[in-house]
Amino acid sequence: MSGEPSLSPLRLFFREAIARSVGEEMRRDPRVIVMGQDVGAFGGSYREFSGLFGEFGGARVRDTPVAEAAMVGLGVGAAAAGLRPLVSITYMDFMMLGLDPLVNYGAKLRYKTGGRMTAPVVIKTTAGAKGQGVAHSQCIEAWLMSVPGLKVVAPSTVADAYGLMKAALREEGPVVYVDHKRLFPSAGEAPRDEILTPIGQACIRRAGSDLTIATHGYMTGVVLEAVDVLAGEGLSCEVVDLRTLSPLDVTTLSASVGRTRRLLTVEEGQVTCGVGAEVAARMRESFGAVPMARLGALAAPVSFNPVLEAACIPDAGRVCSAARALCG
Amino acid sequence: MIYKVSLQAVAPDVGEIRVLEWHGAHGARFEIGDLIVELETHKALVEVRAGQPGVLRRVLAEAGEWARIGVPLAVFSDREDEPAPDDIEAAADLMVDFVID
Amino acid sequence: MPDAVALLRKMMLIRAFEEALARRPDHGFQLLSTGEEAVSVGLCAALESDDQLLSGGRSIGAALARGVDPGRLMAELLGRTEGTNRGKGGRGHVADPGVGFFGAHAVVGGNLSIAAGVALSRQVLGAPGIVAVMFGDGAFGAGVLHETLNIAAIWRLPLLFVCNNNQLSVSTPRSAVLAPKVLSDLARAYGMPARTVDGMSLEAVADAAADAARGVRAGEGPAFLELESLRFASHSTSARETRDRDVLAKMRTRCPIQRFQGALMARGEIDEGVVAGLRREIDLAVADAIAFAEASPFPAPGEALTDVW
Repeated sequence: MSGEPSLSPLRLFFREAIARSVGEEMRRDPRVIVMGQDVGAFGGSYREFSGLFGEFGGARVRDTPVAEAAMVGLGVGAAAAGLRPLVSITYMDFMMLGLDPLVNYGAKLRYKTGGRMTAPVVIKTTAGAKGQGVAHSQCIEAWLMSVPGLKVVAPSTVADAYGLMKAALREEGPVVYVDHKRLFPSAGEAPRDEILTPIGQACIRRAGSDLTIATHGYMTGVVLEAVDVLAGEGLSCEVVDLRTLSPLDVTTLSASVGRTRRLLTVEEGQVTCGVGAEVAARMRESFGAVPMARLGALAAPVSFNPVLEAACIPDAGRVCSAARALCG
Repeated sequence: MIYKVSLQAVAPDVGEIRVLEWHGAHGARFEIGDLIVELETHKALVEVRAGQPGVLRRVLAEAGEWARIGVPLAVFSDREDEPAPDDIEAAADLMVDFVID
Repeated sequence: MPDAVALLRKMMLIRAFEEALARRPDHGFQLLSTGEEAVSVGLCAALESDDQLLSGGRSIGAALARGVDPGRLMAELLGRTEGTNRGKGGRGHVADPGVGFFGAHAVVGGNLSIAAGVALSRQVLGAPGIVAVMFGDGAFGAGVLHETLNIAAIWRLPLLFVCNNNQLSVSTPRSAVLAPKVLSDLARAYGMPARTVDGMSLEAVADAAADAARGVRAGEGPAFLELESLRFASHSTSARETRDRDVLAKMRTRCPIQRFQGALMARGEIDEGVVAGLRREIDLAVADAIAFAEASPFPAPGEALTDVW
């Protein structure tokens, strides 16, 4: 695909953006391998690795047992020894099982060896609520933001699903790539050329002047839906899609909040020690006591029950209410 | 009678599909069970088969094109000489859905 | 087996190095391997230059046996910038992959899957060499051991599991916390060759390690060695000794260095003169290592923020 003139973008399903990205990186770098549950002939739980097993074979696309601790450890160890593994952890809840090798070894390797070793591994995982219950629905990306040496990215669009994966696979250290169950039904445009989404850069999805809404991942779409409603009420909201959660793009955030002087953070995870808590604290340090609010899941587990699940996590209506309250 | 073919609910969370292949040209007659078109959702390949006899009159989303759920993909009629609408907007006004499996 | 005198020298070096370190007031707390020298040295006798060794936090014996420079090791243990890890890792994280010591990792059991990853890297890249991972009986109770044995077996990774069964997790005897009577029995269930060997006998360890490494090197998949050893010192230089003095005294009569030295003398391969010469040479080497470390500065406080991202 590279080399051809880029006339029109490609329309792809979200899963195809991931498969294309990983496939391109595997073609250009023989050190890239994929391992995880059902990533082989099955093509991944969301078919996001479809075609890779057929093209690259079982040595580079490896089905693993249900053993997240060892899978992450193998990924990190293989990375330290010269490979560039992508480890797929089907649901983000299960990352808890693999945090020891990721946090205690992968994220610290460069530091603890005085820069002599690194672990360029990508842990790709799927977060979010979609009827799967209390241990298959969590968004725990904020937990990972406090680990020095660990980068965390979360695409909200097909283009960034593609571009952030490419960037993650070319990083020199460990990256956690967090997508979301509700993003997989989406389709969107990706560049025809091989374009990387730089890690560490947020993106303004909607320009506005009254209020900055900082969000990431699937919630970006929910926020945009809310912002359309609010626009009809005369409220102009600027939507910052963080894209990278660690390191945070404080520059883009500050520029936006500097203009709007109001901040709403929206995430699907917990508010306490959440992504929004960190964003709000950083903005408070820059701007003092501008009006701020945080919106996230209720302080409760996310049930499989559709009524309770919907009650727990933010929706466009709640985003609208929070925005109106801040601007009222 | 003129009918529209539209997908109301392939799966609960499908918002958009990609047309892979039509199995018949304009004027082709379909009997119950005949394969009309293959589609792709984010999860799976979907075969759309005729649930009633009819004649394919218009294809509104060619192979390789994308369509949102609810937007007509084709127009069918009982007889091949009935006047049929030419575009998606007009087809969307059709009240009756062609029965598909 | 490599030159017997070289192996004896390695064991004596580890003992002298650890004793000198323990005598220093500034050493912080260290994990000594006194009594377990035959485990490290016997294992490393079976490793070749393309191989990599990973250890747990009790790393000094493993690092010296594998050939890490004593001066750079001492500097690392004392937190100096000329250390293997620029003084940032310490005893639990000494690493020098250039000499085949991929590194220590101080999380008990945490090095197992990492080592399997290093082995996987070799397999995928078609790189030569095998990987050996040392862990204690303390790690034997960790679930990741099962996960790693299983994956290593199904993927036939070039990985040698070496359980240094020194009978104790800090103060807890293995009999109180581990169900299997023979730890190597576990590995047999995964279809890999597994043996339990007297870890106080250098020759027994070296022979068993050479045997096991041969199969792994030949592409037959992983192997498992349990080396039964005795830890002469307490868990760490700052941990209370919980064993009776007479028990310890009796234990120390089983010193692996004395045993190997005695065997070589009995066979006429060395005499008292050789031993005395080795002792002088090693005292000098340890003094040099300390001098090298002391000449090296601590990192500047600003180093706290380098090499993080």
